[in-house]
Amino acid sequence: MNIFFRELKANFKSLLIWGVIVILFNTVGFAKFTAYYENPELLEVLNGMPPAMLAAFNMNAFNLTTISGFFGVMITFFGLLLSISAVMWGSDIISKEERDKTVEFSLTLPVRRSSIVTAKTLAALVNSIALLGITWGITLVSVSKYQPGEDFYKFLTLGMLALFIVQIVFLAVGIFLGCAMKQHKRASSTAVFLLLGTYFLSIISGMSENLEFLKYFSPFKYFDPAMLLHESKIDLTFVWLSVGIIAASMIGAYVTYSKRDLYI
Amino acid sequence: MNIYKHEFKMKINSVIAWSLAVGLMIFIYLSIFSSIEIDAKLFNEMMASFPEEFLIAFGMTDIDMSTILGFFGLIFLFIQIGLAIQAANYGFSLVSVEETDLTADFLLAKPVGRTKIMTSKLLAAITGLTITNLVVWISSFVFLRMYSDGGQFETKPVLVLMLSIAIFQLFFLTVGMLISLLVKRVRSVPPYSMALVFGLYVLNAFGGMIGEDKLEILSPFKHFEPNYILKHAAYDLPLAWISVVVIVISIIGSYVLYSRKNIRSAV
Repeated sequence: MNIFFRELKANFKSLLIWGVIVILFNTVGFAKFTAYYENPELLEVLNGMPPAMLAAFNMNAFNLTTISGFFGVMITFFGLLLSISAVMWGSDIISKEERDKTVEFSLTLPVRRSSIVTAKTLAALVNSIALLGITWGITLVSVSKYQPGEDFYKFLTLGMLALFIVQIVFLAVGIFLGCAMKQHKRASSTAVFLLLGTYFLSIISGMSENLEFLKYFSPFKYFDPAMLLHESKIDLTFVWLSVGIIAASMIGAYVTYSKRDLYI
Repeated sequence: MNIYKHEFKMKINSVIAWSLAVGLMIFIYLSIFSSIEIDAKLFNEMMASFPEEFLIAFGMTDIDMSTILGFFGLIFLFIQIGLAIQAANYGFSLVSVEETDLTADFLLAKPVGRTKIMTSKLLAAITGLTITNLVVWISSFVFLRMYSDGGQFETKPVLVLMLSIAIFQLFFLTVGMLISLLVKRVRSVPPYSMALVFGLYVLNAFGGMIGEDKLEILSPFKHFEPNYILKHAAYDLPLAWISVVVIVISIIGSYVLYSRKNIRSAV
């Protein structure tokens, strides 16, 4: 329990910084939205196009003149921000002990290694949830003046749920890397590589139908904003896949950390 | 010279890893070009029927996915992200690594001035980045030739684009270095470099998507936008100058700050 609170305190500043980034990004984004909100010219352009074409390009999902469409675009960027923060916290929270030469101290405390991992994981989880809460809150504040309908709130809730799952996937993978990497310095750079790699995969898989299978490898593609908006559901295959990744990473983390030879 | 050699030796593994990753990325992206080519022709036809304002709003004006260069412009952005992270990593760790690894005492006790230490380190980092740069050059030309129709493509725009890489890398290297000297202590490098690179990337991507806002002129992703360069075979000069000015200021600032910095002792 002490470790948990200690970690929360140590990461509080980082949470604040991320919170400010998210709030700033949200404010700038919605400031731009004012120019597009029910902009008659853009609406005219959209209305003038054949519906088949709109559907072909998913433009219905990304109709920037409506608040839902705009948020559908924003959610991709939120996903990127939140997963960077999650993977950073995850990979850092364990490996930083070795970097800062505090690992001898923390491992001589009368607690098992597994409970150290648990406490740290929980602390990182609380941070991630707090950041998601900040994202959610600021979005609610930003949209309130447009008085969106029921549909939007449903979309927002689903979107946040999807973001949460992606966050936890990256957090778990980050923690696993922090526990498993022999050289503590490698943990966060590998995490960065992984994050970039999956982000690139998500871009490639969108380019061609032949490459769509790649989306199974990229959490960024697990939850399609268009589907969240129009069908109001989350693809269950990907929920299970995410749960699988999370479970495997956490088990891997406990196993490798309990056997870990420490760098002092 | 010894510092330079040592620094370079420390970096060489990372340079090789990054070069391979970037080369591989170019290969993968260009090799899928043929499979998306057919879709792309359709895509372009439809795009042509959209009104101009609409394309501007979505930032899709300069994209022509049916030619290999148009496609290359799209993917080069991701190569830029990779290069930027590498350069930012080197920049942030350049002098701060001595403090994190508690080797600053050792290094600064050597009979060399701080300016000289800085210069050697900077040169070593630039050498590393140049190697990666060369790999990008070679793999771009080789794979473009391999995967374009009959090996034909316009060389000049690609050449101009490739020439921009060096400035692009220097931007992140020097800005990273300056920030690492401005903050009290850099504990771990990746959070800083990720924040810098993705911050600037999102700034540009988001600005481009929704138009008007002028914040994105701060971003080198805007200064060296691949689509613009490939289309015009030239830089957007006023913007490119911003990058150069930032680089010069960062280098001068870093030297001044480092020569006065109070280095924390290990003990």
